[in-house]
Amino acid sequence: MKLFSRLFHDLDAMTKTNERVERLGLYFEQADPNDSIWACWFLAGNRIKGSVKTSELRAFASDRTGLPDWIVSESHERVGDLAETLSLLVEAKVSGTSLSLSQLVEAFIKPMVFMDREERRNCIYRAWDVLGPEDFLPFHKLLTGAFRMGVSKGNLCKALALFGKLEPAFVAQRLTGNWTPETASLDKILNPKRTEESLCLPFPFFLACPIQDTAPDELGSVEDWQVEWKWDGIRAQLIKSGGNVMLWSRGEESVGESFPEIIRAANSIPSDVCLDGEILAWGKNGLRPFSRLQKRLGRKDPGPTIMKREPVRFQAYDLLRLKGKDLREQPLRKRRAKLVETLDKLPNEFPIGLSSVLAEKSWEELAALHRQSRDRGVEGFMLKRRDSTYQSGRVKGGWFKWKVDPLHADMVMVSAQLGHGKRSNLYSDYSLAVWNDRGELVVVAKAYSGLTDKELKEVDRFVRANITGRFGPVRGVRPELVFEVAFEGVRFSGRHKSGVALRFPRIKRRRLDKKPSEADTLETVRNLAGNETSRAEDGTRIDEDGNLLLF
Amino acid sequence: MIISGKPTAVLTNTTKGLYCPAGDFYLDPRGSVKRALVTHAHSDHARPGHDIYLCSDPCLPLLRLRLGGKAKMESLPFGERRRIGDACVSFHPAGHILGSAQIKVEVSGKSYVVSGDYKPDKDGTCEEFELVKCHGFVSECTFGLPVYRWKKEEEVFTQINHWWASNAEEGRPSIVFAYSLGKAQRVLSGLDTSNGPILMHPAAHSFLEPYRKAGISLPEAAKVDQAKTGEYAQAIIVAPPAVEESGWTRAFKGCRKSLASGWMTIRGQRRRQNLDRGFVLSDHADWNGLVGVISATEADEVLLTHGNGDALARYLCEKGIRAKVLEKPSGPQEEKEP
Ligand SMILES: [Zn+2]
Repeated sequence: MKLFSRLFHDLDAMTKTNERVERLGLYFEQADPNDSIWACWFLAGNRIKGSVKTSELRAFASDRTGLPDWIVSESHERVGDLAETLSLLVEAKVSGTSLSLSQLVEAFIKPMVFMDREERRNCIYRAWDVLGPEDFLPFHKLLTGAFRMGVSKGNLCKALALFGKLEPAFVAQRLTGNWTPETASLDKILNPKRTEESLCLPFPFFLACPIQDTAPDELGSVEDWQVEWKWDGIRAQLIKSGGNVMLWSRGEESVGESFPEIIRAANSIPSDVCLDGEILAWGKNGLRPFSRLQKRLGRKDPGPTIMKREPVRFQAYDLLRLKGKDLREQPLRKRRAKLVETLDKLPNEFPIGLSSVLAEKSWEELAALHRQSRDRGVEGFMLKRRDSTYQSGRVKGGWFKWKVDPLHADMVMVSAQLGHGKRSNLYSDYSLAVWNDRGELVVVAKAYSGLTDKELKEVDRFVRANITGRFGPVRGVRPELVFEVAFEGVRFSGRHKSGVALRFPRIKRRRLDKKPSEADTLETVRNLAGNETSRAEDGTRIDEDGNLLLF
Repeated sequence: MIISGKPTAVLTNTTKGLYCPAGDFYLDPRGSVKRALVTHAHSDHARPGHDIYLCSDPCLPLLRLRLGGKAKMESLPFGERRRIGDACVSFHPAGHILGSAQIKVEVSGKSYVVSGDYKPDKDGTCEEFELVKCHGFVSECTFGLPVYRWKKEEEVFTQINHWWASNAEEGRPSIVFAYSLGKAQRVLSGLDTSNGPILMHPAAHSFLEPYRKAGISLPEAAKVDQAKTGEYAQAIIVAPPAVEESGWTRAFKGCRKSLASGWMTIRGQRRRQNLDRGFVLSDHADWNGLVGVISATEADEVLLTHGNGDALARYLCEKGIRAKVLEKPSGPQEEKEP
């Protein structure tokens, strides 16, 4: 644990990516491979599920320290991170432990899954007895998860590749999918020979950069680009290999169980393939809003009724492997030709389709078509350079997303909450409201991004001086500040009293020039959405690119 | 009630600060008043613009430096009682910075202590905190949550010296941001001169002389010469946090930056400020210090100020101590000192 704790605190103190990769490489050199594999697994963002609940951890800390539970919660709120809060509240009894990381996992964390609450409490107490102060934070982080330590998956792969003298992309593929330290080993991951099972794993996804500073027509001749609609669905890879079919979301979760019709359909593709594409809600008349897809998410082995009512489709736009051959180094032009050839023979109402390429011959024509995006229910265009290879991660230059312009409205801040992590001491999470027809401010969004550090501090100061009420961690604030809020869409929702919730709201700027009375009305916000407004169910987490984050 | 808005109370809470009607004076007041009793020379306690100031003897030179030569000032030795009108006042060491005091106000047999900022932990750069039993205690509560627990200062000094040594090995200057008065001198007192030269920002340097005159031994530290910032690869530089994002700091090419403050307890704070390191070193009481001192004063009534006192007040009440937050009469809030 000593090596691992030191790694943890070093990574935590480092600000530069290269330093982190190097430091991680050093850890792999020093550590026992059994520890390294656990370190990889945790750094990849995994946690041992069901070991201990966060509410239990708070309760145990309260018991152990003799502090009332409300003050543990209050501390948690201030610190923003439970693992860190526990480490600050509970005092270590010894200076360090001789247990290794894997021993700690085997002796303390894994057994907790099968314990009752009382046993778990004793187990945590024992861990607090034998761990040193430097081990506390890493240990608590292992329990609570979200253990990334500023190391992205790409950098983890880089460090492993550095250590194993392999290509990062190769390691990356080994690290995708549902592996555990029990089923994998460092040897296996770093084995330079390709094995059969790795053919069922997804490739690291190639991600598009947003077009912001570059106007589309600065990208050169339109002929160099393959232009597609940007679908509002779930990015996924569909793999067929030697009789196995797997469907992987970008979060590298296997999601096939939720979409059995796609899995079945894949079986009738004649060759072994790896397709990159998007899972969409897709009815008789084609694309349906994303909210329809949400009804299928998180539901494993769906029944015939829901499958009939909420049909889906895998819309393929790239071919990464064909008959066992990795095509990623080939230019998109060639991959596309092969993709068309492979999927062309499929029937029309099939749950697997081919994402079409737009035929417009100039940026002007494209811009005109782009304006129809919102009405068509898509998020804009994807621009892919025809000679680009399929790279891993967000690499500039190959793929761009040209998204529809966001919607805007002016809103009044009515309450605020302390932020998390970097902003745990600032009131930086705001509830924003607009006027309803009875002249009341009703909340339509919560937003916590978009302001500069200086502005954040100013608003924080305003909040502290203008608190009108306290509701748990939330502070009611005198409604005086007006913000321009950008968002992607409007949905009906029971979450806010206003009956609507905005999609991906973020603060654009402060409107110092506007009085609260000049903020927009609920009516305006509803109308902005046009026919796009849809009824949504909460519960699924999707990032801004439509990538499923948690399944 | 020792404090109320009524003019008959011993201390009243006004927009200018705490006021004692019996003696017609204010404690650490804002705005402009006739007589100001000042706990210590930090700018959120010692403000300019009053007619006459009273502080502790060792605080006087610092107050003079801060407020200039013209202001009328008097001082009292620690522990000596002085009658002002119908009240009696005395100053008692607060252990916060050099000359910092808790002010005891006695009126018709009842004693009330206004703590200013205080720190019960020992530190070589100021007088040791003195516990004063009283009927009413107005306590600061800057770090009023149990997540704030300080390590021994020697441990923190060791961390700073190690950090400095490893930066020097890489040929990078080390900058420690520390509040100019008090914290900077305390950091200086813990530096290991064998690591390399010690430099100070002029703002922090200006307070060295009064510290030395007060008999506090501190290592040699030169004023930073802006023309020579390229020659400071082995050096540690102590500077106020305010210059962190300025050209002054950027002139130290390749430097590593750290901040010495109790707020550095929380990692998010350090990251938000884009620092390489955060050293948890505070001149305030930590949670245990606050609870310990407040209980030990045996005060019947405790009022909390300078911080977010809600949690501490509730905690004390649950322990049977009558505590509440001294609400600031409305007016703009000020930023706390680190
Ligand atoms: Zn102070």
